[in-house]
Amino acid sequence: MFAYIIRRVLATIPVMAVVALFVFSLLYIAPGDPAAVIAGDQATPADVERIRQSLGLDRPFLVRFGEWVWNILNGDMGVSIFTNLPVTTMIKQRIEPTLSLMVLTLILAVSIAVPMGVIAAWKHGTWIDRCVMGFAVLGFSVPVFVVGYVLAYIFALELDWLPVQGYTAFKEGLFPWLENLVLPSIALGGVYIALIARITRATMLEVLQQDYIRTAKAKGVGQRSILFLHALKNAAVPIVTVIGIGMALLIGGAVVTESVFAIPGLGRLTVDAILRRDYPVIQGVVLLFSFVYVLVNLLIDLLYTLFDPRIRY
Amino acid sequence: MISRRAVLASPLLAAPAFAQQAGARALRVVPQSNLTSLDPVWTTAVVTRNHGFMVYDQLCAQDAGGTIRPQMAEGWLEEDGGRSLTFTLRAGLKFHDGERVTAADCVASIERWRRRDPFTQVLWPRVEELTALDERRFRFRLKRRVPLLIQALGQTQFPCFIMPARIAATDAFQQIREAVGSGPFRFLTNEWNPGQAASWAQFDGYVPRAEAVDGLAGGRIPRLDRVEWTVISDPATAANAMTTGEQDYWEYPLHDLLPLMRRNRQLVVEQRLLDGTYGICRFNTLHPPFDNPAIRRAVAMAVDQRDYLRAVAGEDPAGWGVCEGVFTCDTPLASEAGSEVLKTHNLDRAKAALAAAGYKGEKVVLVAPSDYPQINALSLVTADIIRRLGMNLELVATDWGSLIQRRASKEPVEKGGWSIIHTTSSGQSLTQPVTHLFLRANGANAWFGWPDDPEVERLRNAWTDAADATEGKRIADDLNRQAMQLMAYVPLGYYWQPSVWRRNVTGVFKSPVTAFWNIGKS
Repeated sequence: MFAYIIRRVLATIPVMAVVALFVFSLLYIAPGDPAAVIAGDQATPADVERIRQSLGLDRPFLVRFGEWVWNILNGDMGVSIFTNLPVTTMIKQRIEPTLSLMVLTLILAVSIAVPMGVIAAWKHGTWIDRCVMGFAVLGFSVPVFVVGYVLAYIFALELDWLPVQGYTAFKEGLFPWLENLVLPSIALGGVYIALIARITRATMLEVLQQDYIRTAKAKGVGQRSILFLHALKNAAVPIVTVIGIGMALLIGGAVVTESVFAIPGLGRLTVDAILRRDYPVIQGVVLLFSFVYVLVNLLIDLLYTLFDPRIRY
Repeated sequence: MISRRAVLASPLLAAPAFAQQAGARALRVVPQSNLTSLDPVWTTAVVTRNHGFMVYDQLCAQDAGGTIRPQMAEGWLEEDGGRSLTFTLRAGLKFHDGERVTAADCVASIERWRRRDPFTQVLWPRVEELTALDERRFRFRLKRRVPLLIQALGQTQFPCFIMPARIAATDAFQQIREAVGSGPFRFLTNEWNPGQAASWAQFDGYVPRAEAVDGLAGGRIPRLDRVEWTVISDPATAANAMTTGEQDYWEYPLHDLLPLMRRNRQLVVEQRLLDGTYGICRFNTLHPPFDNPAIRRAVAMAVDQRDYLRAVAGEDPAGWGVCEGVFTCDTPLASEAGSEVLKTHNLDRAKAALAAAGYKGEKVVLVAPSDYPQINALSLVTADIIRRLGMNLELVATDWGSLIQRRASKEPVEKGGWSIIHTTSSGQSLTQPVTHLFLRANGANAWFGWPDDPEVERLRNAWTDAADATEGKRIADDLNRQAMQLMAYVPLGYYWQPSVWRRNVTGVFKSPVTAFWNIGKS
């Protein structure tokens, strides 16, 4: 197992290298010029060129790429073209809100979606099943920002229970931290809950048809034990897989959610950097997201062994 | 019903940090955009300029009537028939790092600023020497009298902010690393989170002028302990935050949301900024069809500024104004001499003029920035006109970042060039020929679109040397007439940008920029 983990961690290196080359190349060929953004309307072409030179944007692709990779290997993600701050500092400033939002969404989604899916499978064909599936369709269909605005209208503007926007760091206290994250997490979690609930239901339906479930019932095992101990454990592998794949959904959704609720996270940092063509920041954040995604998938692979002892690496 | 604020008021739940914030007189502001750079010389971004007005001070500043008055300067003395101009600093001025403000700091700051300011670049060839005479005095030696120099130093568009000489020694094309000024507020670097938050604290060592505040002139008295900017990119969220009282001041509310804001009795919606924002429809004069001035004029004949202004600022005529000339309306040089073409407002006559001009169906590429609501609206109205004129239009929807790169291309449209772009400009910049970017017609060195017209350039230079205001006005009339012939751009009128603040915010004054001195909170 340990050797497997080491192998998988090492395998992330070529993946990250490909991602790095891909991101760098895309940015190189994409239209846009940060020097023109900085210079503003009143600058002459000579001024823009001088800024471009001072930023090193006039150098050949390979030189810039080589230098960037070398710096990354030395733990230096570069400096933002606009803010003059190290990219690592900017990421550090933004990582807590995004991490908080994603973890809370994940907890919320799993704790709601899995029981929903299990109950829908158990009550298959009844109104409960149809309600759960109806919610799942709704969760998939309504965009995150619409859910966000509706929640803000009801719970912030009308009821005044929660704030409209912003983020309070965890160190300021659990309540203020939660207060700012409840609405964004629900908004972001909608799609995720729908996805997990549907997969849980489908997998549970399949498992509940198995012979060993019939045997358990015949032996007089209680309904709760059958559902949560016998069936759910055997349905866990596909559910965990979807949770892992869904991380990409969360990362994408976080960009919109952070904008709607003005949360200072990595999603907004990415959008702002793209709009201004702040290349070092875009490269740094995309690389980080890729790394997290690869790691989450590794974690999911390792979790398989917990749920299904037949799986060995 | 139990409200959130009631719950938060409970001592058990409120965290200590909350209590500290509540005690301070902090103004919570939603700025117009993200503060990405702290250097007002390195970038011309308006949000950086607003930051500059908090942190830095100016030698002289513009009052509400447009007159330049002393600010850091006690005054200035003109000698030798105007060939010598000596400034004396007020006593007791200090930087935020505790150092005294000296004449050497002023000289270094002017030297850095003048390398980037287009206005001063026009005047600088007439400056022989700029030297510090002692701790509080510095002198310009001029080749001849330059009355516009004071105006350049006190301008709002590209302000001359004074910073310590050690910082001002930075190359004008490199970003400074510290925001140390002598203005009424100190920048709190450790609280700066670009894209999210920026904060300033009152500078205890600031020495304001004794006069009452008047535009940017007069006493800049900081009445708040802190000013806290929170970047909220989504206008609906910003509107909600103003409604719930999570924010106190919103600099640039979206026009569509103004009726909602006006209905809220806790909010004040007012036109605080003294200048309107002017729309510009710019042609690429290098390539067909707009290398033909007659075709440019034909398009202008179909333009009715009201259509554009309604698209940007809504139906309320109080929110915008027609201005059918190249200079800012209601300013001394405003002129409609030769502007008949802009008063045509007739599609059929424009079509006839287009045919007479020899339009042969060449492709027109209009680039519109979909992430910039106001400029996008202007672009879409022009696209509609071009279509209705029967021209061969290709509308390219892109983002602002891509547009500003594409507009630099001098290639024909088949090779990635462009035919029409739009932009907006503060009315300040269009008040006089030397600051009027879109009026320049010096070919390759002109603003994007690169019009070439020696007569416009001659008149522009003649205005700089005009003997008096009467002659200046006559030249401005000639310039407007010539600009209408050239039609390098179509003026699209102006709209007002109101601001919104909570009713407990006091002392808000009219100003050319969003400044936060003199403002308090009850």
